[in-house]
Amino acid sequence: MYMAIFILFAIMSIAGAIMVITLKSPVSSAIALIFVLCCIAGLFALMGALFMAALQVIVYAGAIMVLFLFIIMLLNLKDEILGEDEKKVTRVFGSILGIAFLLEIGFFVRRALTVGSESLMYPVPEQFASIEVISTGLFTKFLFAFEITSVLLLVAIIGAIMLSKGEGKTEY
Amino acid sequence: MATLEHYLILSAILFCIGVFGLLSRRNAVGILMSIELMFNSANINFVAFSKFINPDILTGQIFSVFVIAIAAAEAAVGLAIVVLLYRNFDIVNIDKINFMKW
Amino acid sequence: MNVQIDLSLLYPHLFLLIWALLIFAIDFFMTEDNRPSLGYLSIVGLIITAILSFASDKGTTFWGAFRADTFSLSFNIIFIGSAILTIASAIDFVKDRLKHHGEFYGLILLSTLGMMFLASSSDLLSLYVSLELATIALFVLVAFMKRDLKSTESGLKYLILGAASSAILVYGISLLYGLTGTLTFAGIAEQLNTSFMGGPLFILSIILIIAGLSFKLAAVPFHMWCPDVYEGAPTPVTAYLSVASKAAGLAAMIRIFFEGLHSSAAEWIPLILTISALAMVLGNVVAVRQHNIKRLLAYSSIAQIGYILVAFIAVSELATTSMILYMIVYMFANIGAFIVVITFYNRSGSDEIIAYAGLSKRSPFLAISMVIFLLSLVGIPPMAGFVGKFYLFAAAIQKGYYWIVVLGVLTSVISLYYYMMVAYQMYFKSGDDNSRIKVNPTLAVAILIALAGTLFIGVYPEPVLSAISGASVTLF
Repeated sequence: MYMAIFILFAIMSIAGAIMVITLKSPVSSAIALIFVLCCIAGLFALMGALFMAALQVIVYAGAIMVLFLFIIMLLNLKDEILGEDEKKVTRVFGSILGIAFLLEIGFFVRRALTVGSESLMYPVPEQFASIEVISTGLFTKFLFAFEITSVLLLVAIIGAIMLSKGEGKTEY
Repeated sequence: MATLEHYLILSAILFCIGVFGLLSRRNAVGILMSIELMFNSANINFVAFSKFINPDILTGQIFSVFVIAIAAAEAAVGLAIVVLLYRNFDIVNIDKINFMKW
Repeated sequence: MNVQIDLSLLYPHLFLLIWALLIFAIDFFMTEDNRPSLGYLSIVGLIITAILSFASDKGTTFWGAFRADTFSLSFNIIFIGSAILTIASAIDFVKDRLKHHGEFYGLILLSTLGMMFLASSSDLLSLYVSLELATIALFVLVAFMKRDLKSTESGLKYLILGAASSAILVYGISLLYGLTGTLTFAGIAEQLNTSFMGGPLFILSIILIIAGLSFKLAAVPFHMWCPDVYEGAPTPVTAYLSVASKAAGLAAMIRIFFEGLHSSAAEWIPLILTISALAMVLGNVVAVRQHNIKRLLAYSSIAQIGYILVAFIAVSELATTSMILYMIVYMFANIGAFIVVITFYNRSGSDEIIAYAGLSKRSPFLAISMVIFLLSLVGIPPMAGFVGKFYLFAAAIQKGYYWIVVLGVLTSVISLYYYMMVAYQMYFKSGDDNSRIKVNPTLAVAILIALAGTLFIGVYPEPVLSAISGASVTLF
């Protein structure tokens, strides 16, 4: 069962990744990428890294990919490339995405129902999924890197705002 | 039972697809998405190693948290430059900016 | 939970961070005429940071993730020095051609901060994160001229290749982590000592890490971004990129390979050897055909990283010392050459080598400075480049790598040709425009500092050598 789920997610993520790089329309590519990210989140959950799975869906598929989609819409890329045929592809994607979510939710539900029993077929250490262990690590051993990241995000914010700010004609 | 090798092979395949996309896409946004694929394959590695090698410390999982943050920062700056190129020069495709003059 | 944070070791870094934030803040309250003073303010901040770096203690903190030692101090001085020279050369350029003064200087300071963190980090995670801090600030700086298509283009190029290289690097790090089970350099070294590490996965991880870092170094075969980005970026940023970014890449390489992976040196020496030889040959040969001074300096900087990697394969104390010495020498000579380019560009608006015709008459000071910097890059005594190259090659000869040294000397002869073509234009050709070029005081001071550094180290290298000789002891 574990192996079957792994193979399912693996095949779906590879297929999605191929679509990301082959599809003509950027919107379809972005949606395929969201699909891949969700599959990878499923794999994380399969490995027992539930916090990472949640982060993957919320931050990556949620925030970063919305940024991508937003930019694609802002630049209005769809009108140039997206024809009649691609719209069908998008629809197919939508359904696949839905199924993926369904599987993922199903997995979590199943896990929630069987907690404590032996029906989960992989040995997960008690604390492997624990947010506590991760946050303890973040605020002790890896605090230095954590603090550097805060400066890094500041630089990214300043840079992104400076570059994309609209301005008058005379300005550089 | 999926072993460490399975995860490593999967991440290697995804990484290769990402590299291929990096080289084959001609649209700046598409290239940035291929790079996201590459970051994700590294993340699979980190989580898999942290489960199979040292599950008590979770070093790998913590590293992948940072990778997500950095990927976000890079995507934000990258997309800002794409917007800038589009707005000031009406360019989105890499072809138009003479990228191959290496 | 015992808290192991000793902030006194981080005073220079904290000071620089606060200073950079202040620059961003002060920018809001300044009128247009006062903005250039932000540049001088940044220089003051950097000088204080340098003094604090000298004054602060050595030691480790943050659970071993941060380490201040002679190695990090030497590299900090290189980063701060190149930032000071860059900003000094940028003040006029920024005033004339850029709009966002505060962001420009602040981002240079934060990029320098990232590099300083990098030189002090003692595990792969903080190394990676601080490298990204330095790099993301540089992405923005390269694309800084928002109305200039070339600058924006090269910003996108640099970003895409930089992000790709960072993904490659992180994939390599993930494999190395999987094989050794740890992220600290000391832990990796211990693991490699106790158990033999070979196998394709290990080699792959080393190849990926070298590939990822070679982008930052702009070493062949990962140099393709270099000429275009150098040409398109605002010239002060190019100067900074060509020295500080390379120094950061080198610091990361030394930390990872000398500290973590030295016991499996046999696996990675052939790779570095190949990269070094390719960089020297390709950089010097292609540079001969360039018409644009910034592209010429780009190819010459590719060749320079080849010379530095000649010493890298020696994996010894002398190797570390000589690479740091050469980086200092290279900083003075290369930024010096770029300051001349900037001064000339401010006046003439051209980067073409042909435009330099008759410069010796228009400004003897600029012409003679340029010649001295270029001779130092070739390695002609009594310029500092000679001393630097001497130590680099000595480190390689000590370990018996003769042919690469012969190659280094031969390619240096080629480099003499194209550098002297620039000198030939300046001294023996006459251009259409013969008006004198007045050198602005700030730029003149910056050029004089670079000249002083170049000549002083060339004649009397002992003080610098003794100051950095402690740097390698901590690594072995």
